[in-house]
Amino acid sequence: MASDIIKDLLVSLAAILFFPGGLFLLLCGLLYEWIDRKLLAQLQNRIGPRWFQPLADVIKLLAKEEVVPEEVDARLFIGLPIVALAGGLTAALYVPFAGLAPSHSFNGDLIVTIYLLSLLSLCLGLAGSNTLDRFSLVGATRTLTQLFSYEAPFLLALLGPAFAAGSWQIQEIATYTETRWLLLSQPLGFLVAVIGLMGKLELPPLDAPEAETEIVAGALTEYSGRGLAIFRLSKGVTLILGLTLIAAFYLGGVSNPAFFFLKTIALLLIIVGLKALFARLRIDQSVGLWWRYGTLLVLIQWLGMFLWGGVMT
Amino acid sequence: MKPTKNRHPDRLAGLKTWARINSPWVLHFNSGSCNGCDIEILATLTPRYDLERFGIKLQGSPRHADVLLCTGAVTRQARSRLLRIYSQMHEPKFVVAIGSCALSGGVFQGCYNVLGGIEKVIPVDAYVPGCPPRPEAIIDGVVKLLSSLKAPQGGDGTAAHASEMVEKLVVEHEHR
Repeated sequence: MASDIIKDLLVSLAAILFFPGGLFLLLCGLLYEWIDRKLLAQLQNRIGPRWFQPLADVIKLLAKEEVVPEEVDARLFIGLPIVALAGGLTAALYVPFAGLAPSHSFNGDLIVTIYLLSLLSLCLGLAGSNTLDRFSLVGATRTLTQLFSYEAPFLLALLGPAFAAGSWQIQEIATYTETRWLLLSQPLGFLVAVIGLMGKLELPPLDAPEAETEIVAGALTEYSGRGLAIFRLSKGVTLILGLTLIAAFYLGGVSNPAFFFLKTIALLLIIVGLKALFARLRIDQSVGLWWRYGTLLVLIQWLGMFLWGGVMT
Repeated sequence: MKPTKNRHPDRLAGLKTWARINSPWVLHFNSGSCNGCDIEILATLTPRYDLERFGIKLQGSPRHADVLLCTGAVTRQARSRLLRIYSQMHEPKFVVAIGSCALSGGVFQGCYNVLGGIEKVIPVDAYVPGCPPRPEAIIDGVVKLLSSLKAPQGGDGTAAHASEMVEKLVVEHEHR
């Protein structure tokens, strides 16, 4: 009896620490970052980084000196990257990652997951406003502004499949979409979800919060060493979880590991293409993009869904 | 110190050195150059030469950078900025002086308003001569710097020495 409990505990610990959560998720995040950079390099007619590049970056940053600047709250400065990474790793428990069923599931976990994923932007904003550096402050303001603009359309876009499936539980939605490509019935929602993920990760053209040609490195200007490494890792985790959610909801399910990797990488290819195509938007332009077009497009999508549902019944 | 504290110090140090060699992020600072060398640095960073192959990335913040690429003969006005940028970078950090002016003052040697070379202000780890040096020469300089890290006590020894030297210089500068 007692040994069974210990065995269960060990199994779930291994699931959280090594596979599919924890270490495996972090390594997958690095792998996807490499694919992202390599594809972008190929589109720009370059050779691009070697396969271990993101790993070398992270190890180098971890081995680098870390200095807590003057006049900052040291506990927040050290704690915020950890909270960001913890948010991403916790969200991984509810997501059907690598073709496996989510290790935890309850009714309404979709909302919890979306909130956990937005911890990254919140931590970036707080980290930036924690320092006195003017570039960090401007970057933090823009990060939070962008958070408030993309979050609503992104949430609405992910709720479309939830309405279609009639459930707010990720596992049930994923089972429902297993046989249906919602991309075909909800193309506008898919579009908004993909661009919402790009806004969340501050990828070009929505990278005004970390525009290196005007505000140095945005909210992370003062970060170096360990803090920067952890923020990079949590961006990788958020990227892969966002890709998983969109692929599971819109691209006909990810219960097969091979399909999981194929579909998420195809999605990444779309994102990299958009990155390479567009120049950076000003912060007011990206806010306008979300509130004027993003939200409106999703609402049109919803209207269509309800009208179609009314006609069918 | 306990012997069990760190059982594989060599392996860990080797991993760190490997990561440093494979991921040098650079910061570019013009300390009063004529912009010739700066244009060459920018050309080096373009897709034609594609330094991301070696993991070299241009960073905006001194906090993120490992290698400071310096050009120019260091005008008196640029001295304090150069010092500040250098002290804002985190250990381990390296400096590459690019172009004849950065090495010796070049044609401006002996002018009343220049100090005549990066090494008069901060410790330099690699020198790239030329007026201006071609992108190939800059890549060669950075690669030579990185291969010097592989030598025993290459990186950390010089870095510790350098930070001592800079502290002295900053104190001296504030006394002026």
